[in-house]
Amino acid sequence: MDGGSCNGCEIEIGSSFGPVYDAERLGIRLVASPRHADGLMVTGPVTHNMVGPLQKTLEATPGPKIVIAVGDCALDCGAFRDGYGVAGTVADFVPVDVEIPGCPPDPSAIVAALRGLIG
Amino acid sequence: MSAGTWGLAFAAAAGGIGTIAALVTVGPTRRWLVGILSGLSAAAGGATAILVLVGHGPVTVHLPQILPLAGVELNLDALGAVFVLAVAIVALPASIYGIGYTAHGLNRRSVQAMYPLFIVSLLLVPAAASVSTLLLLWEAMALTSLVLVAAEHRERSEVREAAWWYGSMSHLSMIAILMALVVFAGHAPGETFEALRMSGRHLSSSTRSFVFVLSLVGFGTKAGVVPLHVWLPRAHPEAPSHVSALMSGAMVNLGIYGVLRVTWDLLGGGPIWWGITVLFVGVTSALFGILHALVARDLKRLLAYSTSENMGLILVAVGAAGIYSSSGNPMLAGVAITAALLHIVNHAAFKGLLFLGAGSVVAATGTRDLDRMGGLLARMPVTGAAFAVGSLAIMALPPFNGFVSEWLLLKSLVQGLPASSVAISVTMPIAVGAVALTGGLAAAAFAKAFGTGFLARPRSPQVEAAAEVGGTMQTGMVSLAVACLGLGLAPFALLDVLRRAGAALPSLWGGEPVRSVGVTLHTGGLTGSLSPLFIGGGLILLVVLIPVVLRLLGVAGRRRVAENWGSGRSLQTARMEYTATSFAEPLQRVFDDVLRPEFDLAVTHTAESRYYVEAVRYRVGIVDGFETHVYRPLIRVAKRWGEMSRWVQNGSIHRYLAYLFVALLIVLLVSQ
Repeated sequence: MDGGSCNGCEIEIGSSFGPVYDAERLGIRLVASPRHADGLMVTGPVTHNMVGPLQKTLEATPGPKIVIAVGDCALDCGAFRDGYGVAGTVADFVPVDVEIPGCPPDPSAIVAALRGLIG
Repeated sequence: MSAGTWGLAFAAAAGGIGTIAALVTVGPTRRWLVGILSGLSAAAGGATAILVLVGHGPVTVHLPQILPLAGVELNLDALGAVFVLAVAIVALPASIYGIGYTAHGLNRRSVQAMYPLFIVSLLLVPAAASVSTLLLLWEAMALTSLVLVAAEHRERSEVREAAWWYGSMSHLSMIAILMALVVFAGHAPGETFEALRMSGRHLSSSTRSFVFVLSLVGFGTKAGVVPLHVWLPRAHPEAPSHVSALMSGAMVNLGIYGVLRVTWDLLGGGPIWWGITVLFVGVTSALFGILHALVARDLKRLLAYSTSENMGLILVAVGAAGIYSSSGNPMLAGVAITAALLHIVNHAAFKGLLFLGAGSVVAATGTRDLDRMGGLLARMPVTGAAFAVGSLAIMALPPFNGFVSEWLLLKSLVQGLPASSVAISVTMPIAVGAVALTGGLAAAAFAKAFGTGFLARPRSPQVEAAAEVGGTMQTGMVSLAVACLGLGLAPFALLDVLRRAGAALPSLWGGEPVRSVGVTLHTGGLTGSLSPLFIGGGLILLVVLIPVVLRLLGVAGRRRVAENWGSGRSLQTARMEYTATSFAEPLQRVFDDVLRPEFDLAVTHTAESRYYVEAVRYRVGIVDGFETHVYRPLIRVAKRWGEMSRWVQNGSIHRYLAYLFVALLIVLLVSQ
């Protein structure tokens, strides 16, 4: 779920599931719809236009569910703080369970965080 | 006079009085009188059929004074009674339904006067016992239904075209039947069925085959089998819906009746290729019919094509019975013919129900286009529930009636596999595969009809404003829905009396093919039994019990009202829903080579830049291949022929006098 990110974090998430880090070997999969998801990875600061979609996406995810805020922007808006289009951090709108800092976070950090979730 | 004779007399009298009442009364009185009297006529016919089926038959009537030379011969035996029963099952609810339905602009003298006559002719055709009586009643049935099909010809030009197609095809069928029966009667000592039956087996094999092929063409046209079906998907949608229900539920069955009566009763059965021909006609109709039903957007056209499909399934059973009896498996033939007869009654119930349901939708919304419907279940709960019952029945799902007859059909085909004959081991696997594929596609077609028609949200304003139909229309639909459930749970009640119908087809019936012990059906000589009551009861129990138990355990019951997932969009409209076209698209793509759809994609760009699109218009049209590639060329040839004759017949009196003179000269020369 992209709340308004610069797409840096998406690239790192992509490489976490790429051939080098291959998070799928741990049984973690990226799915196409929140209906199939156990959790949401949210990137970027939340812009005014994305507040509604963010909440709808969380509502559409079946419980029990986890929200993972990925990247500095998701945690504290990073470089976009006080931007005219930015509404706030992810935690301002939905309850965040796991935080992955970094701009962007390293794939190994993302895999480690996900690994921590599946125990 | 016996009770049965009184029953038939009452049916005919009620119909006659109904017609007179339609001619002399006006306004709501006319609708009510026609509906009630037609209903009474159907009820009397049904009661007579039941009397015959439980053993108080046959009913014989001889009226020498009605037709010149021949007289009218009626003899309702158990085989005919099954078909009369099928007619009555749909005619009684359809008549009640008609009281409300005809209030919407159909309460005209011509339409209302024809309706009771149509029902009487439907009830009497299976009772005809001589060639002239059968032809008379057959023609009465064709003409009254033609008037009814053309009922709304002033409102829509498609109705006129449909009526033309229907009239032409039913008269071609009449010619084929006439030729078959006249040749047959010419070789027999008389024209009563008794005389034909006695001589049928002793005719030369070429005469017998001639009669078989022509009667299959003639009666097959009425049954709407491919490639003689072209009238069906035109006429059934355009007719008023209670008439469509009668045509699809009752009239087409009489085509099957004709095939059975002439081929396996009067001719006494024949060589194995007769059975194989009927079976392959059935396979083609079933597959072609259901493929077109699958891609149809028009609700009533979908139902009409599905009628073609069901007649195909029945012919598969009839053909299999013919193959089995020709190769010395009378027991299997009996199972197959039981399946055919049972499916005829079942099809009458569920197709009648579906057409009445479609009629209610048309009456409430004014459209037959599935792509414009949606959300009707919430707006029309009774119609929606009835249509759901009909859809489940036609998908052959328990506890409804389609399941039992399709089970018997597949059973009779599968059990034929180990048989030694080459013909059986080649044809039966094809038939099993085709029936299975048909069943799967039928499920998809009716999931589409119900899903896009009644679920989701309305796709057009007139559907949004739809309201439930009136009491008489609801009564008609609910009684047929109850019949579907009853026939599905207790088919043994009917199977026991079908034995007598089988006895009328001695060449197709051996031993006791299907018998019921308590509530369980056993197929004679085959392994396998079925208890529809237990299956149905178990299913209903599961459907009710599982939620109750889950709720008691506290697992279920927490209800959350939320929006559909639409990728987080803030505005979701009904235009984003799956339509009937998009639902059928994947399967349409699979069967591209058969359906040959015509696509048309027109993209309009904005004036400023080609990168911006103003409008996209997507059109897909699927035409019946037989119509464009067989019938249209034939019509062109006939037209050219007609234009050539115009040169001879140019209306000039001088030329006609010259013709007379030349003809006279030729006669004089020849007679020299």
